[in-house]
Amino acid sequence: MVGSPVQLIAIPLFAAFLIPLLGKAWKELVRITPGVVILYLLYLSVDLLNYTIEHGRVVEVIAGWTPPWGIDLVFSPFSGFLATLMLFMGLLVWIYSYRYQTFEDYDDYEPTLKYYLLLMMMITASVGVVLTGDIFNLFVFIEILGITAYGLTAYYRHRDGAEASFKYLFIGSLSSTFLLLAIMIIYSQLGTLNMADIAVKAHELKPVYKITALVLFLVAFGIEAEMFPLNGWAPDAYSQAPAPVGAAFAGIVVKAGLYTVIRLIYTLFEVGGTYEYLIVMGLITMFFAEFAAFSQTKLKRMLAYSSIGQMGLVLVAFGIGKEEGVYAALFLMFNHAIIKSLLFMSGSYLVYKSKNKYISELNGVGKMMPVTSFLFALGAFAIVGFPPFAGFWSKLAVLTAAADSGMLLIIALILSISLIEVIYYLRVVNRIYFVKRDTDLGITKPTPQAMFSMLVLGAIILIVGFYPDVITGVLHKASATLLDKGSYINDVLSLSQTIN
Amino acid sequence: MKKVIVLILLAVVAYYLVDVFSQIKFGENRFQGENVRDFYLDKSKNDLHVSNSVTSIVVNFRGFDTLGEVTVLFLAATALGSVLYRRKAHGEAVLFNASTIVRSGAHLLFAPILLLGAYVFIHGHLSPGGGFQGGTIIATGFLLMLLAYHDYKVSHGVLTWVESLAGLTFASLGLTGLILGKTFLENFLPIGTINDLFSGGIIPIIYIAVGFKVGAELTGVLYTMLNEKEYKKS
Repeated sequence: MVGSPVQLIAIPLFAAFLIPLLGKAWKELVRITPGVVILYLLYLSVDLLNYTIEHGRVVEVIAGWTPPWGIDLVFSPFSGFLATLMLFMGLLVWIYSYRYQTFEDYDDYEPTLKYYLLLMMMITASVGVVLTGDIFNLFVFIEILGITAYGLTAYYRHRDGAEASFKYLFIGSLSSTFLLLAIMIIYSQLGTLNMADIAVKAHELKPVYKITALVLFLVAFGIEAEMFPLNGWAPDAYSQAPAPVGAAFAGIVVKAGLYTVIRLIYTLFEVGGTYEYLIVMGLITMFFAEFAAFSQTKLKRMLAYSSIGQMGLVLVAFGIGKEEGVYAALFLMFNHAIIKSLLFMSGSYLVYKSKNKYISELNGVGKMMPVTSFLFALGAFAIVGFPPFAGFWSKLAVLTAAADSGMLLIIALILSISLIEVIYYLRVVNRIYFVKRDTDLGITKPTPQAMFSMLVLGAIILIVGFYPDVITGVLHKASATLLDKGSYINDVLSLSQTIN
Repeated sequence: MKKVIVLILLAVVAYYLVDVFSQIKFGENRFQGENVRDFYLDKSKNDLHVSNSVTSIVVNFRGFDTLGEVTVLFLAATALGSVLYRRKAHGEAVLFNASTIVRSGAHLLFAPILLLGAYVFIHGHLSPGGGFQGGTIIATGFLLMLLAYHDYKVSHGVLTWVESLAGLTFASLGLTGLILGKTFLENFLPIGTINDLFSGGIIPIIYIAVGFKVGAELTGVLYTMLNEKEYKKS
């Protein structure tokens, strides 16, 4: 073990304050430093993940005060897996953004500095959300995540971007307020903010407090996790943000949002009916999002709705519960991160020159941009779950989990909703390859670093598709960890010191 | 019709929230046995030698949250700067000089306000106040000057330096604890005698850094926004 989990937060924070000064020495450092930091953190995180898989969770105490008195970070195979995934996606997004051309003023110093600062902190905040073991600390990280996401959504400083950002800001503030109210209820009744301690004491809550807190939490976290009907901000934010940011939303931010819902339901509270609630909400989210995606005329909005639909499927998988359900859900999250990010990255280049980003402008682009189109098609086939791509195994895992629990109706619903997904993705691929080009829009070749990011993602989709074993070991371990609530509580609270 | 439904929904939510929160007995002794309150009060006095326990909670027990909140402010200022960024400022000024009375008054008050702000954050561990409050007081001093003189300039370069160095101080104090084999943000300096100016280990240093940072950031935000107003889109 080379380092402790707190470094995953402390080092980027340190770097964030340092970068404005580094930029005064050499401007290029503003672009390079975040990448170096993320690369180091990824190394650290992979190393910690290997350690925790062998030796169990690492609980890190902050400021020397053990839980429940102080704040703690928990690096378990579950949270560690998500943190590693986020950092990996973060690294690829950074490579993709490096000298990304549509940053109209990309050699202007100020916007560049701000973009890289916000991007690095968005990744850090997502990692913080999954690592923290303290519910108020979670609130702080969600705040950081929100602020960076609003700033990046409005990065292009045009009308639509500002509108999308404002919408996001408005809903995000509502989420924060509800979250704070819920934390107040918990703290006023239990006198603790530590998640493990809350999990122990939750049964002492009077029903009215418990239900109110749960509803407030679900609304707050549901907004972050794009749960229906709280996801109105998502399509606008995804489509107005710069392309690498859209990829980061799909690969990183929404994973943090989902994590909060899962932590709430699997660890914090045990209230009857929440698992069924997840299944029902997941199915409704899927249903509406996939139909909305089907009727979209703009590429990025279609991808955004498809992303929401996928999150619905993840919620269903988590709602099935048991180890198989959680395993399937984590597998879906992993696949969604790599595949949807690839779709955003390659799709943005396919409609690069277009102002409105209509799907119809993709006609015949396959001949002009063979590699990018191929990668987009690969992503499209993978996300709808065609074998032998990565997406196939996760969809299969969801269906197996549902079948084992005897939920045949759910299998039927998932399959029929997936059919819509197949139709609209194939429609796009058909346009790319088999429809004659009817616009005179030119094309822009991806930068070499953008191409590198996309090829890496494409390679992972194929590798996981042919040898799913490379990832399933970690996923099994992670899902077992999430379900073992007793050992989570024990690991955290056994450190406790008393008033002497 | 839509509005009526929204109003009804909001009324239902408000009713339940009021109902739940009115049942919580704020300010009363609600916890028995070993609890956070007793722990914090005991450790502030005996282990940290900080007489203002609010400060010890904000900077030490929950110091990680405070580092996060400082980052929130930093990123909010960054995001604002990014959204309001203009490559070339052009247009006509809409601000005008204030009257002589306001200008002289502002000039007279500026230094005392800065002094008060510094006093508040330097004594954050002894008396009510601290970095956030002191920093805000300092920013109000600059706001006064910005309102009184329409051509008052604040150097962005200096603000960046103050902001970054203060943030780095906070983060490096935390990391030093880690490097010395303790935990992140744990105190590693002598704690001194309670109620002395030099007591509480790293706590006053962190709060002074927070004071500088908050002062510089709020000033920067105010300056950016006033400057934005100054120019009309051509």
